[in-house]
Amino acid sequence: MPTLTIDGRQIDSPDGSTVIQAAETLGIFIPRYCYHPGLSIAGNCRICLIEVEKNPKLQIACNTPVADGMVVHTSSVKADEGRRAVLEFLLANHPLDCPVCDQSGECDLQNFYMNFGLYDPRFREQKIKKKKAVAVGPHVMLDQERCILCSRCVRFTDEISKTGEFGIFNRGDRAEVGLYPGQQLDNPYSGNVVDICPVGALTDRDFRFKARVWYLSSAPTVCNGCAQGCNVDVHYVLDRPHLNDGARILRVKPRYNADVNQWWMCDEGRYGFGWIDKGRLTKVRRQGAGATWEQAVAGITEELTKVGERDPERGTCLRLGVIASPQLTNEELFLIREIFQRALGARVTASVPMPAGNSDNFLIRADKNPNTHGAALIGLTDATAPDAAAIVAETLEGQLDALWVFGYDLTKLVADEDLQRLSRSLRLFVFSGTNDNPTAGCSHWALPTAAYLEKEGTFVNAHGRVQRIGRAFPPLSDSREDWRVLLEIAGRLNLGFAWRSPEEIFQALARSVTPFAGLTYERIGLHGASLMTDASVAEVAVT
Amino acid sequence: MNLTALEPQALEIIKRYDEPRAAMLPLLWLVQTNVGHIPSEAECWVGGLLGVALSHVREVVSFYSMFRTREAGRHELRVCTSLPCMLRGAGDVLAQIEERLHIRPRETTPDGELTLTEVECLCACEIAPAGQLDEQFVGPLDRTTIDAIESDAVAPYTGSARIDEAHPFVSTDGPVISTRFRNTGGTWWDAYIADGGYVAARKALSSMTSSQIVDEVSKANLRGLGGAGFPTGRKWSFIPKASLKPRYLVVNADEGEPGTFKDRYILERDPHALLEGMIIAAYAIGSHKAYVYIRGEYFRPAERFARAVAEAYERGWLGKNIQGRGFDLDVVIHRGAGAYICGEETALLTSIEGGKGFPKLKPPFPAISGLFQCPTIVNNVETLACVPFILREGADRFAALGTPKQGGTRLFSLCGRVNRPGLYEAPVGITLRELIDRHAQGVRRGHTLKAVIPGGISAKVLTAEEIDVAMDFDSLQAAGTMAGSGGVIVMDDSASMIEALQSAAKFFAHESCGQCSPCREGTGWIHRIMRRIARGEGRLHDLDDLLAIARAMEGKTICVFADAAAWPVQSYITKFRAEFEEHITTRRGAETTHVDEARACPP
Ligand SMILES: Cc1cc2nc3c(=O)[nH]c(=O)nc-3n(C[C@H](O)[C@H](O)[C@H](O)COP(=O)(O)O)c2cc1C
Ligand code: SF4
Ligand code: SF4
Ligand code: FES
Repeated sequence: MPTLTIDGRQIDSPDGSTVIQAAETLGIFIPRYCYHPGLSIAGNCRICLIEVEKNPKLQIACNTPVADGMVVHTSSVKADEGRRAVLEFLLANHPLDCPVCDQSGECDLQNFYMNFGLYDPRFREQKIKKKKAVAVGPHVMLDQERCILCSRCVRFTDEISKTGEFGIFNRGDRAEVGLYPGQQLDNPYSGNVVDICPVGALTDRDFRFKARVWYLSSAPTVCNGCAQGCNVDVHYVLDRPHLNDGARILRVKPRYNADVNQWWMCDEGRYGFGWIDKGRLTKVRRQGAGATWEQAVAGITEELTKVGERDPERGTCLRLGVIASPQLTNEELFLIREIFQRALGARVTASVPMPAGNSDNFLIRADKNPNTHGAALIGLTDATAPDAAAIVAETLEGQLDALWVFGYDLTKLVADEDLQRLSRSLRLFVFSGTNDNPTAGCSHWALPTAAYLEKEGTFVNAHGRVQRIGRAFPPLSDSREDWRVLLEIAGRLNLGFAWRSPEEIFQALARSVTPFAGLTYERIGLHGASLMTDASVAEVAVT
Repeated sequence: MNLTALEPQALEIIKRYDEPRAAMLPLLWLVQTNVGHIPSEAECWVGGLLGVALSHVREVVSFYSMFRTREAGRHELRVCTSLPCMLRGAGDVLAQIEERLHIRPRETTPDGELTLTEVECLCACEIAPAGQLDEQFVGPLDRTTIDAIESDAVAPYTGSARIDEAHPFVSTDGPVISTRFRNTGGTWWDAYIADGGYVAARKALSSMTSSQIVDEVSKANLRGLGGAGFPTGRKWSFIPKASLKPRYLVVNADEGEPGTFKDRYILERDPHALLEGMIIAAYAIGSHKAYVYIRGEYFRPAERFARAVAEAYERGWLGKNIQGRGFDLDVVIHRGAGAYICGEETALLTSIEGGKGFPKLKPPFPAISGLFQCPTIVNNVETLACVPFILREGADRFAALGTPKQGGTRLFSLCGRVNRPGLYEAPVGITLRELIDRHAQGVRRGHTLKAVIPGGISAKVLTAEEIDVAMDFDSLQAAGTMAGSGGVIVMDDSASMIEALQSAAKFFAHESCGQCSPCREGTGWIHRIMRRIARGEGRLHDLDDLLAIARAMEGKTICVFADAAAWPVQSYITKFRAEFEEHITTRRGAETTHVDEARACPP
């Protein structure tokens, strides 16, 4: 491994790595526009100039391979001067329309100008006019005048989405980025180009003019759109409801995770957050009328205590069915198993029919549930478990007396009249979920629960990686986290659980479900952790 | 338009290349030749055949000046307004043509006969002011030629009238490269053999090892004549010996440096000399495939070279098992399409690979990873044409012709305001004064020499007092300029340095590939300031701004084009500052011709 010196500090950097990477390891940030770690090297913006001793010319850090004994200065007078010159060129034809630019506040032209520029502008010629505010696809807006031709977007559509929409046409200062006339930027990953565009040339149509980025708060979580579990940051505003018609979430951005999604995410996940602020269940309802959580918990528990008892009229035992969901967290699924399956002997499943969605061999998975894998490990989808259709059929046949549905809309399985009939024949019919649907309407108790962003917990993605979903902001209105509701009911049922939080539930889960062995919230951290493989499970068993 | 009819030809072309995508330029040419322009169906068709996204086909079409996406006239007249032609009145000529045809550049006569295009250097500066009517160079453009063009092109084409070819001065006395230039129609097989042709190649293939050839070429002190002057033998030795990848020899026949027109004469009059040099070079570096990149505007040179290639295949000097020596070599002729930057060796490679002519990042260097990521040697036409002489006559003889560090003679292109523009072979150590005064017969009577650009437009200008300098690479470098391509542009006292710099700035703004920000923005910026100054709207501090911009562009880019664009600014302003200041303070410029075009900078 070559050893080099950057700004007086020594570092060993692997063969084939570049100065920009080595510097980053040392915590030295070299400005960059065209360089992006997820894309090939273009070396065209020239902002990353550094001085390498014994080399009379400034070099670009992004394409300078590390070499043993190399001595690099990232902010010598010469390097600083070089960078300032490059920045002045980049801004020469730039429209400087920051007041009306969404990128303002997270723009690398602004940032680097403040950090590395600050020259007296000399450009007094007429600026080149190009096209502004062109919708190039369903999600992305292009402003050619703001573009600095770094070619990141072109490399993205060539190398990552492999759809090849972007090109840079013409040459010299007539060069402009764009699409072939008549084509659309409509690939399933199009939103990523907005993230990687270092300036305000590519902006998000969905986010357009909604808020200044400095009003946004950010929280790390995991996308719940499919079984890939791309790591994301949600950007939201709680204290300025006027900005976005009261909706809290303004946008979702991918968060780097080397093992899951690198820098990327799909458009469906990125733009599919509307349900979190719209059409939510906000109040507890009993038979359609308002009720309180206390009434609900008391009423439901009262019915649940009867489960397993003999019904004096019919002469059979009262039986409970539970349709859980692979949208729930491991912690919640574990509580469902402990309370309903183990303590109350209920028929429990988390296998709900879901038509396979679109998929590809990059990020998008056909399984649109974030936690199918977790539900399986906890034993709610295995061969011994019934599936949702079986439970509904059993209910309609009168074999079940109480039913709890988590989020799922039964009209996907049965006709409306059957749902009505089912509702009439059941002694207890609970629906808990985030959004309103016909099943909620027919239930005896409709419980508003928290969306995944509003609660702590973990999902297991399709590759067996456990990831925390974090908690961006509190549950909307009267809604409550499923785990909290379940814990309360467990308390009322005197099941003797000592857990008070998802983290404590997870510890119990890790003790009980082997593949989770040894994991803690801390170990899962921000980037998730792999479940025990079969081999490591065997190892644990031996020791 | 029937593209399917072109498909068999297209598939034939694709087969020649190591990667389908590399057939991009030839397929676009195929379309344009047959359809007249490149409509979007054709872009789809080409993209489909090559597996290239439509956006990238369009990138290529829009990058090269010669491709057009809209219908044009049955004929195209390209008029050069680069510095060498400007110095000989191109501005007035263009104005005359516009007036006669009632069209502006990029427009077509109402009858659809002729499209007028203003272009940068056609490398026909010996017949400046030069133009090109379809495939034929025409010049000097004066009243008679313009008349001829009008009757030849604008009147419905009858296939009879021809514009006479000019006969500028061209050396024919050698000793190295020009000996067969007296064959104005080309030196073909028999004549070439009769004059000692292929003796050197036979010697190389039958009795020399690769390293012996490299040694011989090194001993001859042959330096790259494309402009950089890198020792040729040393360059060849950089090819990794152990690599199992194919190796390529690439010939740079993209001659584009304003003021230079030497490679064209080799291709047209002595193509076998180049071919023989290529065979020797390919053998020395272990290459079995050579690409010859000929600039798009060089139609007849390409035809003539192709004829030589065909002769060599027939005679067993190309193809499999050459002359029974067990060495194979195939040659592919690749045509450019109007982009000066493709002369830069790595841009040339990207262009062969089917892309826009973007210079590549270095490292890696072409000798390690060049064409199709394989070891590649790029050499200029003239460089390779010197090689047969070296092997036949001996390295010592070649070395003795030159200076201690640069052997041989070279072809000097003399143009601008001299009495006898033309192509002169002379020992590399000749002085600039001798070239101008003795060979090109000095400047016009009644005028005095003012300034000379000794090595193509990218070289720094020398004043009349600085011309007692030898023309080899090292001497000119010591004099603060460069030998470059050997294109000598001469200015007498009637030339305006403001117009000269404006013209140079226009050239660089038009030809920057546009990938590096300092070059893309800097060239456009300089050009806009120069245009303003020329119009009489200059301010004194513009001069310092120009110098600062030029300085800021230097040494920061992927290729040295940006430096080359900066040098004229620096040298013209530094050496002729008083003239610039006077122009600005007296607000001269109202008289500037309309060749302060709008093309390089859209309004
Ligand atoms: C902007 C630019 C333009 C160039 N144009 C040409 C050209 O037209 N012909 C040429 O042979 N070399 C040209 N060169 C030089 C080539 O990059 C390269 O050095 C040369 O082809 C190598 O061949 P040689 O060693 O035989 O000279 C150019 C270089 C630059 C930077
Ligand atoms: S649009 Fe953005 S990402 Fe694309 S080339 Fe321009 S600045 Fe770069
Ligand atoms: S210096 Fe200019 S011509 Fe050379 S690669 Fe950069 S932009 Fe292109
Ligand atoms: S980041 Fe290195 S050249 Fe752009």
